Amino acid sequence: MKQKSWHINRREFIRGGGAALALPFLQGMSWGKTRVGQELPKRLVVSYIAYGVYEPKTKDGSHHDWNWWPCKDSGPLIFNKSAAPFVPLKDSVSYLRGLEHAGGVGMGGHSSGDVFATAANMSGFEKTNNISVDQVAAKVNGHKTRYASLVLGTEGGSGSYGSAKTLSHYGPGRPIPSMHRPQDIFNRLFTPYAGKEIDLVRADLKREASVLDLMMDESRRLQSRLGKEDQQKMEEYLDSVRALEKRVERTSQWTHEPLPNVDTKGLNLEVSHKDPEEYTRCMYDLLYLAFQTDSTRFATLMLESEHSSGSEMWNYANYVLGYKGATHDIAHKRPAESGKWDNWRAKQHAYFLNRLRNTPEGDSNMLDQTIVVWGSAHPHASHSTKNYPIQVAGGNALGFKHGNLHSFEDDKKVPLANLFVSMLNAVDAPVEKFADSTGEMTEIV
Amino acid sequence: MMQFYSLRTRIKVVLESVSVCLFFSGAVFAADIPSGKTGFESQIKPFFKNYCIECHGPEKSKGKITLHSLDGDLARGQDLERWELILDVLEHEDMPPEGEENRPSAENRAATIKWINSSLRDYVKKASETPMAVTTRRLTNFEYQNTMRDLLGLELELSKNLLVDPDRPYHFHNTSEFMMIGPDQLVRYKEAARKAMASAIVDNGEPELHQTIAKWKHGQPGKKGLTQAEIGVYQGPGVGRKTVKLKSWPKTGEFRIRVKASGNFPSGFQEVALRLVMGTDLRHDSGSGIYQEVGTIHLTNTSDKPEEFEFRGRIENIPIQPASNRRNTISPPSITITAQNIFDNGELNDHRKSGFDDSWSVKAPRVILESLEFEAPVIDDWPPEHHRRILFESPLRDSKTDEYVYKVIKRFMTRAFRRPVDREEVDHYFQIYKIYNAEFDTLEQAMRETLAMMLISPQFLYHTVIDQAANAKSYELASRLSYFLWGSMPDEELFNLAASGELNDPAIIEVQTRRLLADNRAVSFVENFSTQWLSISKMKTVNINHDLFPRFLYTVHVGERRGQEQLFRPTIRDYMHEETVGFIGELISKNLSIMNIVDSDFAYLNEPLAVHYGVNGVRGLKFRSVPIKPEYHLGGLLTQGSVLVGNSTGSAPHPIYRAVWLREAVLGDEVKPPPAEVPALSDSAGDSAEDATSIKNLLELHRNKESCYDCHVRLDPWGIPFERYSAIGKYQPLVPKDKVRVRGFNHKQDKTFADYQAYLRSIYTEKVNASSRVPHGPAVDGMMNLKKYLLMERKDEIAENVVRRLMTYAIGRELTYRDRFEIKKLLKLAKDDGYKMQNIIVLVCQSPIFTGAKS
Repeated sequence: MKQKSWHINRREFIRGGGAALALPFLQGMSWGKTRVGQELPKRLVVSYIAYGVYEPKTKDGSHHDWNWWPCKDSGPLIFNKSAAPFVPLKDSVSYLRGLEHAGGVGMGGHSSGDVFATAANMSGFEKTNNISVDQVAAKVNGHKTRYASLVLGTEGGSGSYGSAKTLSHYGPGRPIPSMHRPQDIFNRLFTPYAGKEIDLVRADLKREASVLDLMMDESRRLQSRLGKEDQQKMEEYLDSVRALEKRVERTSQWTHEPLPNVDTKGLNLEVSHKDPEEYTRCMYDLLYLAFQTDSTRFATLMLESEHSSGSEMWNYANYVLGYKGATHDIAHKRPAESGKWDNWRAKQHAYFLNRLRNTPEGDSNMLDQTIVVWGSAHPHASHSTKNYPIQVAGGNALGFKHGNLHSFEDDKKVPLANLFVSMLNAVDAPVEKFADSTGEMTEIV
Repeated sequence: MMQFYSLRTRIKVVLESVSVCLFFSGAVFAADIPSGKTGFESQIKPFFKNYCIECHGPEKSKGKITLHSLDGDLARGQDLERWELILDVLEHEDMPPEGEENRPSAENRAATIKWINSSLRDYVKKASETPMAVTTRRLTNFEYQNTMRDLLGLELELSKNLLVDPDRPYHFHNTSEFMMIGPDQLVRYKEAARKAMASAIVDNGEPELHQTIAKWKHGQPGKKGLTQAEIGVYQGPGVGRKTVKLKSWPKTGEFRIRVKASGNFPSGFQEVALRLVMGTDLRHDSGSGIYQEVGTIHLTNTSDKPEEFEFRGRIENIPIQPASNRRNTISPPSITITAQNIFDNGELNDHRKSGFDDSWSVKAPRVILESLEFEAPVIDDWPPEHHRRILFESPLRDSKTDEYVYKVIKRFMTRAFRRPVDREEVDHYFQIYKIYNAEFDTLEQAMRETLAMMLISPQFLYHTVIDQAANAKSYELASRLSYFLWGSMPDEELFNLAASGELNDPAIIEVQTRRLLADNRAVSFVENFSTQWLSISKMKTVNINHDLFPRFLYTVHVGERRGQEQLFRPTIRDYMHEETVGFIGELISKNLSIMNIVDSDFAYLNEPLAVHYGVNGVRGLKFRSVPIKPEYHLGGLLTQGSVLVGNSTGSAPHPIYRAVWLREAVLGDEVKPPPAEVPALSDSAGDSAEDATSIKNLLELHRNKESCYDCHVRLDPWGIPFERYSAIGKYQPLVPKDKVRVRGFNHKQDKTFADYQAYLRSIYTEKVNASSRVPHGPAVDGMMNLKKYLLMERKDEIAENVVRRLMTYAIGRELTYRDRFEIKKLLKLAKDDGYKMQNIIVLVCQSPIFTGAKS
């Protein structure tokens, strides 16, 4: 497809100094169902780093330059060396100290990442995990975009209980496998029909719908012949078929909407784990493009997992810092280099936040329309599953107030899930409760 | 949904057992307590009050267990897990804890045990009148892969893209509670099914034949002393292999590779192994090498008698290097066959100067490869058998196509669903066929799609469960047997026995169990079961410290992957895995006692592994049983590399990991992960992590912290007797001096094997202290004493663990209190029989827990 003239190339636009201008939301740069006059997209991202962060103390009681937390005291943010990449984003970020998901506490130091976006009580009554925050939003507002959500990871797949490779879950026992190959992600987002004629695509979908219908009948018949326990198990299968039916229906509807034109210049989709910086940025770029084209509004990105031993990511820190030894050992030994590692992670994340912020949208910019949570399910002390490092960014236009570090220690403690409640309310997926929440995160909303 | 989650194992974490078991010893006369509520009120409740409630009551609830709320009416079916727990700790005298002065008398204890036992038994008896709900579960990926193979009659790699099975250390992947299907899993099943059907059903007409032929001359030796046809041993990247790039290949189909090969054997050698792998050209040591092993042959013939050997495989399974664009030239997708000489006597990397000693290329045996012919698809028999299996020859096909299609569907469906199917069910897929038929040009195309849908049906994806049809139970049992012992669907014989109803006879079950175990398909059961039971796969990802252990792995010497493990060769770690799996296989096939897992008079080795362990006289890469001597310090599982390496840090032994392994895998306890709030090992030990070389010493510091003491005092003693076995699984009674930084292996200084050994002598100077007092037991010094102790005092627990593991794996759910008495019965039979492993498996298959029959 040739690029239509009204499809303004965003990159050139920004290069031309357009970022300084406050322009109305440009329909030409979006696609899908958002039209001028309609509300701007409200987005949500959860991004995860593993193994906790470096939280050293100094002898004189001052704040350590390489501590992940930008400053020591709650109040207005002052950035140390580790958090320096966020200096230009001061008014768009908050830090929340002293929070965790109670449901992850009993899971052990290598597993609580499983519940980072779900807050499920996996060591208790939710052994197979539960729905994640992005999926709650996707259920309500996912129909507004071609893809209800985008689930990314750097290792791909679902992983297993206690060693998830994804942050997103439809519900108990139903992890959503993350995509990790840039080319696959790009194809899925922007060339979903793989070059097939649209009429053929529709015919295929129609046929698939009728076959699924028959499969549904058969499974229902089987279900009725089973004992009670087995019927429950079969319900899970039926749910999946239903979900596929919906997916087919949705895909066919969207065949009537034009696919976006995407500028692939500067995107290296062949990049591998061996170049962690390029790779990580490429994942962030794809996420950015998905938002920019309004292909989806809800996303998770599992940048690292505590169980990377089977993949190249295991030696992540080796590539980045030249640290000898496994990444896991860094978490346990916490050599001084790990401050630089955090700083490296911060740079990549700030890159993404900056891209969002530098893209005008409506009266402000994309970051103001996007709430981004970034953190880990472990603090510094390895194996601990309390006091997560948590940064929240963006969403200024959705009611989020930034620029401070908030401390929730001791009697101020609230469930981290309160943040999720506030996020969901901000993206028009109103809830009163999420997992163990007790209210909203009033400090930043 | 699994409601009966076993608490039984969980408590053992907190409570250590003592070996003496009063209840079974019968030494004490137990007075009868009146049954039911009366006895509870008059005797049991006061017993709890006297000895338990202080710690397990309203005030304190240690281990989160409380007793004050129990009402004594077991017949209601409430709190039974808790009752089973109490029974266990009383039987094993775990509670009141060691050191507690207020203890019940032996008679009092025995009477209480008797009361709980009989109350529990009464309930289980009553409860088992209603059969235990079948827990439906989907096939594991392992079972899916095997079922597709046996259903279709062709071996395709199909499970790689499926979501992974629930994988928890020391647990099996098939626990029904955790096995769920979501939309994405279903999408992937569909992709896999369509891929399978694309291969299983071929298109009409003769296929195009693809051939690549390569020849090499076995003439005059060249500069390096090898002829053109010879492949020398591995000496670093680019040596020890020959590559052939395929000219072309089909999208699907079986391929055949014929090689004309022999060996060149310097004196003292009789055998050399030739391995073929396909995929990327492995010349480059980039980490992205993707390849698939085609096969290995062990050559014993010499060049004057070259022989032809044939390898077969499926082209679909071969990873294709995609087209690449480098320096403005586009190279098309490619597949390369790499022939490797994988001779390995465990000494190849003794010389480390720049990789290897050149002289090995002529000192070691060589493969002589004179020709290699690739051909695909194999058309000896066209259309292939797997095609005819589905679209069978019949005049009906053209005359009465619908009738033919109906038969095709029914025939396939009966096998896919692993039971007879009824008209309604066949009709259903006939309708689906009609939808596809309207769209596609050929019967083949429409049938592929139709059958692919059948392969995402719950009847295919879930373990066989059906309604109350007369022989339904028999088919279920046939499947349960085959999935237990083959990880796959039943064969013709099992189906026939199910149809005739004979399978319900315990004698037939025994015959079938032994038949299935003797079949080749049982090999993958042994592998799957052992790997998960013993949690040995983590061994492959332990980061080995190459400075300390430069000879352990073949590493890459140049390029971007310098210092990392050479990927394309079977390594000693692969052999360690085979050792453990093969060892368990020996116990089963030779029907040896399961106590061999603690100690045995044989090891299961090949040459590289034997050299690694210091065992002489084992030649070649093939594994075999080797009688062992005390000076080898081998025997049983405890000293196997898979266990020792997997539970080390890669630099040092790790007594905690090893202790956890022993308690989980051998003794059957469930050890909890460290609680969230405790500091990590090095934090609690101060800043000494960098200096101390032995974790044992670190542990001592760690144990002294109060928050760590409670758990570690029960854990560490089990790991310390392993201390004389190094991080790479070798017996090593000397270690570096504590708090001294070892200088590390230096390639420039320690050039030769002798230099290397001198280096080792210079750092390994201190005797290892491997002595500890096991909880509630004696002081145990080193491995030999640990084994002795286990075999003297812990036999019952070890046997119970193995039996429970086998049963859990066989039925795909955790055992509960309802299974308790059947397990005890089975244990008694096993004990009287000398714990023979094959016989135990037969007992498991005959047990009502497995067959679903009423006891």
